[in-house]
Amino acid sequence: MASAAVIGLAGLVACAEKPPHRTISGADPKQGLALIESQGCGACHQIPGVAWPRGEVGGSLAGFADRALIAGRHPNQPEVLVRWLRDPPALSPDTAMPATTLTDAQARDVAAYLLTLHDD
Amino acid sequence: MSEGSETGFDRSIYDRFPTKGRRPKGELEQLREIWCGPKGWQWITAINNNFVGVYYVGAAMLFFVLAGVLALVMRAQLALPLNGVLPQETYNQVFTMHGTVMMFLFAVPAVEALGVLLLPQMLGARDLPFPRLSAYAFWAYLIGGLAFFCSLFFGLAPDGGWFMYPPLTSTTYSPGINADFWLLGIGFIEISAIAGAIEIIVGVLKTRAPGMSLDKLPIFAWAMLVFAGMIIIAFPSVILATTLLELERALNWPFFDATRGGDPMLWQHLFWFFGHPEVYIIFLPAAGAMSTMIPAVARTPLVGHWMVVLAFLATGFISFGVWAHHMFTTGLPGASVGVFSAASMAVSLPAGVQVFAWIATVASGKMRFNTPGLFVLGSLLIFVMGGLTGVMAAMVPFDWQAHDTYFIVAHLHYVLIGGMVFPLFAAIYYWTPMVSSRPLSERLGRWTFWLMFAGMHLAFLPMHLSGLMGMPRRVWTYAPGRDLELPNLISTVGAFLFAAGVLIWIIDMVRNFRPFGSDAGNVYDGPGLEWLPAELYSVRSIPVVKSLYPLWDQKTLARDVEAGRYFLPGAPTGGRETLVTSPVQAEPQHLLPMPKPSGWHVWAAVFTAGFFLLLTVQAYAASIVSAVLATYCVIRWCWFLDHPLPQKEVDVGAGLMLKTYASGPSSTGWWAMVITLVVAGMVLAMSVFSYVFLWSRSQASWSAPIGAETLAVAAMNLVAVLCAWLASRVLAKPPRLTVMLTVAAGALVAGAWWIDLKTWQGAGLSPDLNAQGAIVHAMAAWQGFFVAVGAIMAVYVVLRWLFGYVGPDRPATIQLVGLFHAYVAAQGLVTLGVPRLFAAVPA
Amino acid sequence: MTTRAADESFKGWPPPVLDPAGPFAAPLNTLTWGLLAMAALVMVVVLVALAFALFAPRPWRKRLGGEKLIWIAGLGFPVVVLSVLLVWGLSLTNKLSERPQPGDLRVRVTGEMWWWRVAYLDAAGREVLQDANEIHVPVGRTVAIELESTDVIHSFWVPRLAGKLDMIPGRRNILRIQADKAGTYSGQCAEYCGGAHALMAFVVIAHAPEDYARWRARAERPALAQPSTGAVVFEKSGCGACHTIRGTSANGVAGPDLTHVGSRHTLGAGILPNNAGTMSGWIADSQAIKPGNRMPAYPVLSGQDLRAMSAYLESLK
Repeated sequence: MASAAVIGLAGLVACAEKPPHRTISGADPKQGLALIESQGCGACHQIPGVAWPRGEVGGSLAGFADRALIAGRHPNQPEVLVRWLRDPPALSPDTAMPATTLTDAQARDVAAYLLTLHDD
Repeated sequence: MSEGSETGFDRSIYDRFPTKGRRPKGELEQLREIWCGPKGWQWITAINNNFVGVYYVGAAMLFFVLAGVLALVMRAQLALPLNGVLPQETYNQVFTMHGTVMMFLFAVPAVEALGVLLLPQMLGARDLPFPRLSAYAFWAYLIGGLAFFCSLFFGLAPDGGWFMYPPLTSTTYSPGINADFWLLGIGFIEISAIAGAIEIIVGVLKTRAPGMSLDKLPIFAWAMLVFAGMIIIAFPSVILATTLLELERALNWPFFDATRGGDPMLWQHLFWFFGHPEVYIIFLPAAGAMSTMIPAVARTPLVGHWMVVLAFLATGFISFGVWAHHMFTTGLPGASVGVFSAASMAVSLPAGVQVFAWIATVASGKMRFNTPGLFVLGSLLIFVMGGLTGVMAAMVPFDWQAHDTYFIVAHLHYVLIGGMVFPLFAAIYYWTPMVSSRPLSERLGRWTFWLMFAGMHLAFLPMHLSGLMGMPRRVWTYAPGRDLELPNLISTVGAFLFAAGVLIWIIDMVRNFRPFGSDAGNVYDGPGLEWLPAELYSVRSIPVVKSLYPLWDQKTLARDVEAGRYFLPGAPTGGRETLVTSPVQAEPQHLLPMPKPSGWHVWAAVFTAGFFLLLTVQAYAASIVSAVLATYCVIRWCWFLDHPLPQKEVDVGAGLMLKTYASGPSSTGWWAMVITLVVAGMVLAMSVFSYVFLWSRSQASWSAPIGAETLAVAAMNLVAVLCAWLASRVLAKPPRLTVMLTVAAGALVAGAWWIDLKTWQGAGLSPDLNAQGAIVHAMAAWQGFFVAVGAIMAVYVVLRWLFGYVGPDRPATIQLVGLFHAYVAAQGLVTLGVPRLFAAVPA
Repeated sequence: MTTRAADESFKGWPPPVLDPAGPFAAPLNTLTWGLLAMAALVMVVVLVALAFALFAPRPWRKRLGGEKLIWIAGLGFPVVVLSVLLVWGLSLTNKLSERPQPGDLRVRVTGEMWWWRVAYLDAAGREVLQDANEIHVPVGRTVAIELESTDVIHSFWVPRLAGKLDMIPGRRNILRIQADKAGTYSGQCAEYCGGAHALMAFVVIAHAPEDYARWRARAERPALAQPSTGAVVFEKSGCGACHTIRGTSANGVAGPDLTHVGSRHTLGAGILPNNAGTMSGWIADSQAIKPGNRMPAYPVLSGQDLRAMSAYLESLK
């Protein structure tokens, strides 16, 4: 529950200072979306572009690209995000998000998609 | 006496018509005055078919639009995979309501309404024989239907699918009152449908214009006759089914609960014994309308008239042997599957006969491509396509794949839209000039047709494919990535196109439909009596019919009718009246005085609806009050009946004197009572079927108490029959004797019922114990209901005696009450005998 | 959900009804094409007759416009077509509804709201193995599936392997299926069964016989009970009241057996891919994924506990 509050706070922070547009070289956001769907990330997250499922456990990822922090704690930078996507507990031991089976290249694709999710 | 006459009527009397000479002054004015429409708010009390028929069609079309809006909401939800227009539970309510409203509140009432509106005109009657019953049926349907529909806005709408299979609809899996809305709401609307059917049967058989023997009966009237007969046979089954399920829900009597010896399959048998004939019940009147309009539009008699009539009868007959084709995937035994499969295919033969009769008619005439013409052609194509997928689904192994998928959704919409909706729209365009002072617009009509025709195919053709692609029906969503996106999106576009067509029709109606005044006349050059010049009193005089297409064959008919040169040019009794003729040859038998507008039937409808609705929301005390009030209103309404007029005989034209009072088999009341008892008998027959079905499924053997009580019950019922029969025989004696015999009959059946029930309870059978307890008590409840009605009738007779209304000059009431008591006694014997019969043999 | 673990099995194209994969579905495919051809033929006859009736020159129309047309085209022609079809249909019905043979593999599938309870039986009908939401079969062997239900009516349908058959409380129906090729075949509930009916799917997985034997041997083993935080969380959270994990104290029967849940192809009855992430999402709030299903949401678990539990369940291979 606390993490949700933090995410909300992060959203406010994001409004205050818009981070610069970030991309990941060599990664394919389209491929990333396909991976998000095949992995079922929607089981926990509402993700723009994913119709179903729209889980509520992990919070919405709408406007993720404009957020300053990942999970309210880590700077929202591409390399951190890629690491996070592969093994969140390594960064935040108390997170509910389990490690995934994504390869580094796959995690980069997913990160690239998430970084296309702007507020408007 | 003339040769071959049915009633001894001298047919040379027909040669006196058309009469010569001028009609007396003031005659027409009197006719207008007597039949004038109600003013202002009194339109509610109207009972003339010119009003009630229009209200009735209008209400049916209202429900068509409402259920259509639900369809659009569903299509919006299914336009995209995992769409979020509707949450799952709302979607499940919406599809249940769409099916239920379309089937029960639109399709059956719409065709029944068409009958009420058209039949008196087509038959040359001033009105159907029970105008107040029609009005009652209409109001009950409108009030009940609207309340039922509104349940959707409170989240209380049923969500078990339109065939409401238990155990999903039992209290365990549907604990709310949603399912009760369906069971009580629909059960109640069925009663209104049956009332309409009685009206139509008696109307077609007894109020035809003189000379309109069965071979000159318009094809639409044939269709309505078979239609009404099928309602009488089929609807009791669903009345029983809904009653049993409601009893299971409310009182925990296990008819369908497999854990206590019930069987969910019983519901399916009862439901589909009604449900499949229902489809033909909807189709037949529409087919009758097609067979009326195609000759008119092509300006030539229907080719194969008799083959089409026989096709109606064959459809009616075979359709009762096909119900289990909805159950091919339930694991029925192979032999019965074969029979039902064969019957399901056979039922397409009469449809083939009709289709080719229409094509042959088109060929022999010259088709006009006006709006009704376009709709009948569109109907023919769509219906054939639906029929073909129907033949596919009648093939058992194919049905194993297609059943409960979108393939079936496509099939049933092709059949119903092609077989009923398009003919109905053709009928609306074709017959509007008969009731409205302006015809509908040909230009808008074409738009309506093409949008509906294109939208229909766009919406439903892809569904065949999505079914084969594995999309089950009744799903609130589907997964992406299964290639279902495209067919579903196309279907949605088609549905909205179809709706656009309907919208244009609504605009057309608003702009041009002006009923209750003068009419636009015979703009399509139709051949039937309904195109005679008419006002609210119907035709000025009732013609002698000499051909199947009187307006084409008797060129001066319209003029002579309008000049009052046929039967009943005025109102000889000074009130509303129509001719009663014999069922086969339509020979004049007597004059039937008809009621004037009054509010009692409206109040009766309000309180009947109130009873059922209050029961649904479990306001039991209020519902009983409402039932008492409804009964009071019905008694007040009946009180006006059976009053002989001062004029015993009147001149109905050209010096023919007819009696103004009738009883027994020549009277309309007798026919109505007999048909009502046939309905009751069908419910009884279906409950006997249920008893035997559950008994054959039961693992434990059932027993039944046999003893002195059994003999006593049988004897009391037999004596009751004797009393009921004697009551009308001794009318010439002091009325007291008749009244005593009537009361005795009522008391005897009540006593017999009570003893039988006590015997069962003494044997330790309780209704919630097992299926036998449930079904025995259900039969007892059914008999108890009849005993109660019989008691009310006995009290009614006593009241009439106190007012001096019992005597040899008015035997009708006593005869009808006697018939009823005799039936109740016979029913008591059956409910006594069947459990004893099927208990003795081990299952 | 465009792609899933059992992705290849969920394609709608070619339509599964027209893409049979075994002897109980192949004749239905032939029949479907035959019926479609019949329908097309009759439609052409009607269209041609109607076109002539509408537009042909007067003498032609006159010849068409008599009762002869009704006798020939409306009655005679359909009688012939329908008789042929009826013979075909009934003989196929008999052939396909033969009783189970002694060599058939026996599996009992019970419809539940809204998932599938699967039990593998021995020749005498005793239950050998419990599983849920997927059915493993050996290629080339007929499987007699005993269909039952304890709540409402469901219908078992794997279009590529056979037609559908209902599961009715108080009755037992037997459906025979056989897969001729290894692969996954999607199935779903075809009879409306309330709430989450639309999301009540399953898969049939056909293995080569030796693979099937290997699968079976592994499946019959109890869970490898390694002490882990996840196992403790599972036990403390009371999951065992509804779920069974053989070899542990969890012995509930209301929900699916989880003894080898980690090796399942799907979660939530054929709707989600199976991995630690979806498992966590399902446990924490299955209601957001499959509204109305009987498993309550567990939002009280801490992040670590949730992760531990899903890791534990995923380890049950």
